[in-house]
Amino acid sequence: MSYAPSPAALARIEKTMALYPEKLAAILPVLRVVQAEAGFISRDAEAWVAARLAVEPVRVREVLSFYTLFRRAPGGRATLQICRNISCALAGAEDILRFISEKLGIEPGETTPDGAITLVTAECLGHCDHAPCLQVDGVDHGPVTRETVAAIIEELKAHG
Amino acid sequence: MSGAGTVGLTIDGRPVRVPEGTNVLRAAGQAGIAIPHFCFHPGLEVEGHCRMCLVEIEGLPKLELSCATLVREGLSVRTSTERVRQARRDVLEFLLAEHPLDCPICDKAGECLLQDYYDLHGRHAGRMIEPRERREKKLAIGRKLILDRERCVLCTRCVRFLRAYTRTGELGIFERGLRSEVGIFEGRPVDNGYSGNLVDICPVGAITAEDFRFKTRAWFLAKRPSVCPHCARGCAVSVESVRGYPLADGVQRVYRITARENAAVNGHWICDLGREGRRDIEDGRRVRLLRQGAPASGLSWQAALTEVARALRQVPGPDRAERVAVVLNSRMTCEELDLAKRLFVSGPGSGRVFFADRRPGPADGLLLTADRVPNGRGVLEAGFEPRPADLDGLAASRVLLVFGTALAGLHDPREIARSFAAVPEKFLFAAHAGPLDKLVDLAFPVAVPAEKSGTYVNIEGIRQSFSRAFEPPRGVPAEGEILIGLVRSLGLSLGDLDAR
Amino acid sequence: MVESEVRLLPDDDRSWRLEAYLRRNGYQAARRALTTMSPEAVVAEVCKAQLRGRGGAGFPAGTKWSFVPKDAAGPKYLCVNADEGEPGTFKDRLVLLRAPHALLEGMLIAAYGAGLRTAYVYVRAEYAGLAARLDEAIAEARAAGFLGGRVFGTGFGLEVVVHLGAGAYICGEETALLESLEGRRGQPRLKPPFPATVGLFGAPTVINNVETLAAVPQILARGADWFLGRGLPGDGGTRLFGVSGAVRRPGVYELPVGTPLRTLIEVHAGGAPDGRRVKAVIPGGLSAPVLLPDEIDFPLDVASLARAGSMLGSAGVVVIPDGTSMLDVLRLTARFYAHESCGKCTPCRIGTSWILKTVDRLRRDGGGPADLDHILRLADGIRGRTLCPFGEGAALPIRALILKFRGELEQAAAR
Repeated sequence: MSYAPSPAALARIEKTMALYPEKLAAILPVLRVVQAEAGFISRDAEAWVAARLAVEPVRVREVLSFYTLFRRAPGGRATLQICRNISCALAGAEDILRFISEKLGIEPGETTPDGAITLVTAECLGHCDHAPCLQVDGVDHGPVTRETVAAIIEELKAHG
Repeated sequence: MSGAGTVGLTIDGRPVRVPEGTNVLRAAGQAGIAIPHFCFHPGLEVEGHCRMCLVEIEGLPKLELSCATLVREGLSVRTSTERVRQARRDVLEFLLAEHPLDCPICDKAGECLLQDYYDLHGRHAGRMIEPRERREKKLAIGRKLILDRERCVLCTRCVRFLRAYTRTGELGIFERGLRSEVGIFEGRPVDNGYSGNLVDICPVGAITAEDFRFKTRAWFLAKRPSVCPHCARGCAVSVESVRGYPLADGVQRVYRITARENAAVNGHWICDLGREGRRDIEDGRRVRLLRQGAPASGLSWQAALTEVARALRQVPGPDRAERVAVVLNSRMTCEELDLAKRLFVSGPGSGRVFFADRRPGPADGLLLTADRVPNGRGVLEAGFEPRPADLDGLAASRVLLVFGTALAGLHDPREIARSFAAVPEKFLFAAHAGPLDKLVDLAFPVAVPAEKSGTYVNIEGIRQSFSRAFEPPRGVPAEGEILIGLVRSLGLSLGDLDAR
Repeated sequence: MVESEVRLLPDDDRSWRLEAYLRRNGYQAARRALTTMSPEAVVAEVCKAQLRGRGGAGFPAGTKWSFVPKDAAGPKYLCVNADEGEPGTFKDRLVLLRAPHALLEGMLIAAYGAGLRTAYVYVRAEYAGLAARLDEAIAEARAAGFLGGRVFGTGFGLEVVVHLGAGAYICGEETALLESLEGRRGQPRLKPPFPATVGLFGAPTVINNVETLAAVPQILARGADWFLGRGLPGDGGTRLFGVSGAVRRPGVYELPVGTPLRTLIEVHAGGAPDGRRVKAVIPGGLSAPVLLPDEIDFPLDVASLARAGSMLGSAGVVVIPDGTSMLDVLRLTARFYAHESCGKCTPCRIGTSWILKTVDRLRRDGGGPADLDHILRLADGIRGRTLCPFGEGAALPIRALILKFRGELEQAAAR
């Protein structure tokens, strides 16, 4: 099973690569494009990116596995990122996390069986004045309560 | 040593003078002060992350890396203050907290930096109550290499070696923090001609060689310096054997061949072909004297040489140049070649001299040369004009002396047989069994390079003398002894050779 | 609060566009710098203003610029550190949200002063939405002739590329940021060489924090003396102080350097909500050693915080209320550093995780004073023994928590 990006993704990849004097420097944006399209970065996609950036595939694996954003296996259609460091913790983040975890029936790092939602934790989303906060596919929400979180989940399930 | 190009500094109160550009770690080493280190390797770029080599430098508040600090005039370094010793203990404690206690079954035990440093600098009781990380302990990463991730201290020497030296870059570091681990990309194993160096440079037992695993213990190994005979580079090697455990035929068992540092020749590395050279020592050896292909029991090589001498003497003097043919090879040492020249070119046994050597292979741009013999330059320096052995030329001779087995690999076996059949008296001197054994009257066993002393001149003209790493099997002479014996059997002394 | 006409941050999230920025005299400072001043004069002005880096280390920005070799051939780079990730810190987010053009103008001035023609803004992955806004702002500035080639009709030009990170706190460390930008694992480099001489792609590079650069236009607009006068000698200007945790009005406050910590908490942020009391204060992001309620009477500047045994860091103040379990705080602190350690240096890689394992054991199985001593020893084994300041950042807050809340921790562990 080999990997090839869509023409649109390929165009984005070409565009981002033009912004750097060295090919490898484009690896984070290129991986981001790949993941945005495929949902995760497969072994074949790693090899494809390596070839495109003219490096050994092991270099892609090194980078991929260093950063928390990238996925090497499929995730949910939506990603719920719960902040849990100091400011959010003081505002009850652990309770929110437990609530979501119970409501979805999954632990952080897991995806709901229907493939709708992946739940992950974050160390600090930089939204400390809106604690406790979370991000849904990059969009900030906060301060959240059990009620608002429940509404967000319903929304995601309805549109998933 | 003083003046331009050198720098004077003080290490633990001792004045030291070293070349500019030396780091403090190496400068201390030159002064006999060993600073412990894991990630630093003199053949690799400095990384400075194992944090084992921290020292005090006068005027600086923090402990500094001795690997990353270059010497400066007047620098005052302290390597064994309580602060430095505490830092070492702490680093060791961290490393050992996540290190398995499998030294009893670890191949590196006895030559492991972690063990050595614990003994010298650690000596603490284990304080780790929490469970260690469990990791893959037997991951095949290519070319007979096994990775034990629990033992790895993440010095990254292996990763850096493959990036900087072979430029093949098969290994990388995956994940981060405590989960960091060395790995390959699936389907891209370590596959280059220098992979054995990874085992040499691994400071612990994380990367081990499949063919060395569980074979012996490091402390049983006698490490003898030698020069690799498998190409014209002449890399410095250690031939590592265990005394008292010969193979069945008396050949010394060689557990491994490792790289020995020689800045002028091979730096810190050797190729896998050279490492595999242990097969050349162990395998296919013929340690018996054969007559017509069958063991000549009860006959010593010294006694057998009288038959060679008789055959030579029977060729009338004026005819010798035409009717005696000698095939030499470029694995012979300079000393042996010199004797051979005096005997066969200008001396009493003189005849036509040919050379037969292993075919060249591709040079790899690093150490391995196209020439796959160690002393091609020595042949030229001895004054030979090496002529390849042509079978018709050999067939025309009355007496044929062949040194080495290479001839058999250069010609069709039937052609060789036909050529040899035409020669009335023929003798072979070779370390390994081969098809020529049956074609000659007498086949003498000889030593391999690791079993002898001598000199090779490498591709760059560097002369390297070496001593035998170990004795050849009982009753097996070196070619040099054969040549001297032949002189004696001819009723001459060495002095007579030059008088003629 | 700083009078509105000289504020860096507008009050609302809608005034970020170029039009609004120009109404606040935006890009006038850059125009003055590029068209009437030499690069040396620009650097001298910023040096004189004593603008200290707002990212955490507090290094004077002008001095940093002056380290770039003038005569070096080839490219030189400006890197903007927008990898804000220190827990309790969210000020740069506000700059990106409300004043992206102040950042761009500051970048233009800095690039002109240090002779840099290309800039990369390294934005943390979690701020992807803000990066998109910054891209829009760049497009606006380009269209108006403030970025790109020949700015203000001069021979100077600046290209700006927004680069998104991918989730690694360590990339906020400047050399890790460079490694990450070059496409490798974000692990700190050995120094020297320093980035000013060997930085991005091996070229001379200046790395500045978002807020630092956004403050630069003020200096060029009103002069170094004015800027310095608003702060303290040696630490000029106003800063963006983030306050979160147990206060009535969490948020970012733009105040003179030297504003008392207690004033920030009690007056500006409104103090603890009704019925709550302050138990502890973290004055500069999670890496800053915790302070007790009676330890907050000093001015907020780099030097004073250091004297108080803590640090101003990223000026993210977190107020911890009574009722908070300090064992929980210890745990999340340990978890953060274990999670974010890049794994390069031995003490940090293993030490941070060992501390976390120990704290987890205390919470699970209980423990005694010896366990706390053990954690202190582990922290001491990390502190000062690593390539980058992350080790210090991990060890110091853990030490402080144990030293200042020992009684409570012992009790909690003994259970």
